[in-house]
Amino acid sequence: MGSRGDAIRVLFRIAFRNLAASRVRTAIIGGIVLLGALLVVLGTSALGSIAQGMRTSVQGSLGGHLQVYNGASPDPLQLYGGLRGEPVLDPIEDFSRVKEVLGKVPNVKMVVPMGIDTAMVATGNVLDLALERLRGDVRRMEEGESGPELERSYRAHLSHVRRIVTLLHEDLSKARQIADLKGKYAAERRENWADLSRAASDVFWDGFDRNRYPSLEFLENKVTKLTQDNAFTFLRYVGTDVDAFFEAFPLAEVAEGQMIPRGHRGILVGKQYAEEWLKVKNARRLDQLQERRGRGHQISRDEDMQRWVRENHSGIKEILLQLDPVKADEVADLLRRGLGAPPGENLEALMARLFDTHDQDFDQKYQLFYDVIAPRIRLYSINVGDNITIKAPSKTGYFSSVTVKVYGFLQFRHVEKSGIAGGVSVMDLMSFRDLYGYMTKEKAEEIAALKQGAGAKEIARDDAESALFGSPGSSAAQPGETRSTRIDESKLLPGKRVDPVELGSRVYSQEEIEHGVALNAALILDDPGKLRRTMADVQRASDEAKLGLKVLDWETASGVVGQFVIMLRLILSFALFVFFVLAVVIINIAMVMATLQRVKEIGTMRAIGAQRRFVLWMLLLETMAVGLLFGLLGAGVGGLVVWTVRDMGGIPATTDMLNFLFAGPALLPALGAGNVITSLVTVVLVSVLSGLYPALLAMRITPVEAMATEE
Amino acid sequence: MAIVSVQDVSKDYMLGKTVVPALRGVSLDVDRGEFLSIAGPSGSGKTTLLNLIGCVDTATQGTVLVGGKNTRLLSERTLTDLRLHTIGFIFQSFNLVQVLSVFQNVEFPLLLQGKATRKEREVRVMGLLEAVGIGEYRRHRPSELSGGQRQRVAVARALVTRPALVLADEPTANLDSETGATIIDLMKEMNHRDGTTFIFSTHDPKVMSHASAVIRIADGQLVAREQLNGAAPGGR
Repeated sequence: MGSRGDAIRVLFRIAFRNLAASRVRTAIIGGIVLLGALLVVLGTSALGSIAQGMRTSVQGSLGGHLQVYNGASPDPLQLYGGLRGEPVLDPIEDFSRVKEVLGKVPNVKMVVPMGIDTAMVATGNVLDLALERLRGDVRRMEEGESGPELERSYRAHLSHVRRIVTLLHEDLSKARQIADLKGKYAAERRENWADLSRAASDVFWDGFDRNRYPSLEFLENKVTKLTQDNAFTFLRYVGTDVDAFFEAFPLAEVAEGQMIPRGHRGILVGKQYAEEWLKVKNARRLDQLQERRGRGHQISRDEDMQRWVRENHSGIKEILLQLDPVKADEVADLLRRGLGAPPGENLEALMARLFDTHDQDFDQKYQLFYDVIAPRIRLYSINVGDNITIKAPSKTGYFSSVTVKVYGFLQFRHVEKSGIAGGVSVMDLMSFRDLYGYMTKEKAEEIAALKQGAGAKEIARDDAESALFGSPGSSAAQPGETRSTRIDESKLLPGKRVDPVELGSRVYSQEEIEHGVALNAALILDDPGKLRRTMADVQRASDEAKLGLKVLDWETASGVVGQFVIMLRLILSFALFVFFVLAVVIINIAMVMATLQRVKEIGTMRAIGAQRRFVLWMLLLETMAVGLLFGLLGAGVGGLVVWTVRDMGGIPATTDMLNFLFAGPALLPALGAGNVITSLVTVVLVSVLSGLYPALLAMRITPVEAMATEE
Repeated sequence: MAIVSVQDVSKDYMLGKTVVPALRGVSLDVDRGEFLSIAGPSGSGKTTLLNLIGCVDTATQGTVLVGGKNTRLLSERTLTDLRLHTIGFIFQSFNLVQVLSVFQNVEFPLLLQGKATRKEREVRVMGLLEAVGIGEYRRHRPSELSGGQRQRVAVARALVTRPALVLADEPTANLDSETGATIIDLMKEMNHRDGTTFIFSTHDPKVMSHASAVIRIADGQLVAREQLNGAAPGGR
């Protein structure tokens, strides 16, 4: 017993001493193994963390655990859009049926209806807003009101409009120098210029008081269209049962404003989206500078940051336009004091002084901007309480629009900065249906039919409610006809256009919300661990009920996002595979050479009574020992790297792409026992695999070799 | 009874496509306790004959009996066991395991046998190291020793399992004649002390003169057997 242990000990002794004896070889093999273990640890750790980030982002924001959509759709469901825009999906005609059937499948906790699309939002421009305020004053005056407060407001608003027009005139006069005034649009351009010149003339403003309404209308009709600032932007929204959505996705929270009241129409705009697209560009860039400085970057060394500072200089005009003379004076005064500027310096120069920032004065200037300018401008082009008009750009040439109230901003906890989760807005399902209704060809045909007077027959077929909110067609109906049951509400009330505000105050019942079209539905499970099984159950239930649904797991449903993780995993696996194949080859060669050098010694061992098995183990132990020893070392180094990276705040997501990938501002790699075990098992397996051939070779060495005489 | 019995043995080697006969119809009996020298010029078949007797190679024709067992009928595994327990080897170029110390080299066959306890091994190995005169070098590595010292280690290793038979292939060829003589003396001393049978090959007449009998081989054939003096009485 003891002797057997001794024999094993001598095996180890020989193995280790051989390793120690040929240091160069051991260093080469060990180095490869160490690097391999390090790569496995770092790779799996980073990938695991990215996958976890994705999981949190996707499951917590839109994905849920499973997704269902109409299996007849030409495109697969892609929750975050595809590379060529939004996927084309056939609708789920009656969501309530889906909810009823799938809600009964074991392990399914919730079924949430969804309709995801990108739409255009009119954000209005500065001149529009200034004119709107001026019109308010004018109305009051024309109705006979008067007083110093009204007079002061009127004068301020009037000079604000004049200021904007003047600036616009200056801008366009520069543009005229390079514009083509002979081509196709020459006549139109000349006419525009004439209008603008008139609006900028003293004569026009001198006569404004005598001619208030006509002057306003002239500005509204002829000049407003010449401004070029952001008149609209694109908004990605999910139309859903808002209450169910918040229950299903507990990470969702209203960051500002309030929840859409139950059953009401309304929208919660994605906070991250608002930051990126709706905020005044200069403010956004200051935020980005601030954030990057927070990560230890310096303006003096960072080209991006320097670019932002430069861009802020050219963004000054956007802010100037927003300030009416009263506010402009306030701002100038406060800036002059805050910046210690000479008394005579004008606002534009003061702003240039403010935005021309460097590492030493950034914090002070950042604070000054938010104290002085931000409260006096419209910081976001959409604000809580606004009624915004959303237009769906149709693929078939039709546009539809709805006006919804912005109740608040939406964010998802933990992944607030994630472009995946934070980019989407949540809208009520009714508004989605209105927008979506026009988008299908069948719908277009139906409207045409309605316009020709056949509409009455259509509506009479069902009761009003199901006609309004879409009901399942009769079983004999063709799919095309079934789709045509969605009806534009405004068309149902002949002669009367529905007032958006009135529509906004309507309260819909849960039944109204659920009976009707959705594009897909998110399924939340009680036990996500049983995802595969439940997925099969859901598919079966759908097939049995002839719902024609296709079921996807969250990863697949997330489209390019999920595929990205799969792709990363493939790339990592492939890279590691190539590395380890090379490792096997190199270690193999090194060990074969070592074996050939030891032919005589091995022959001697065989001659004096060592069995083949002994020789095999002797060689295998040697590579295994290297594998384990340097594998541990590599895993240790990997652990140290991971720990250091975490300690330093993770790998910062310096670009939008990384932010998207990491699902947050930084990737905090995690190191589990799994990563270490995986790396150790991998490198030991690779070592044994590389040592196997030389060991088998050694095993075949005959004792006769011991007798061979040396030269 | 003979410890080794070689009966009409032939051994052919393949050299490319040509058959090279190394031994042709050799018959030989070796009694226990003999101190037998195999003599002959290079390439005469000395090493081949030793390989066949040492069970590291098998004959093309004829039978080799070692300790009464027909080596042709034994499996590779059993042959290895037979070598481990019955035969000791001394090589021309010593063939020590470079990474093991003197003590560990000698201990190695005992570990392969796996029978002796640590204490028994210590006693046996040290006894032999003292007997061959290198007890003080027990912790040295082979590379730190002279050729003669290394061959003494090899002798101790060959004897540590108390084999019935020790085979030595040109044990003095890599040593100067004086050292060679002391090794032969050492072997002979062991032959006398334990009655271990020694068969060694050599082409050195001075070395031969120590043997109890000399077998002469030429061109793969046994040409003469000369009985000399002083074989160990009785064997064991």
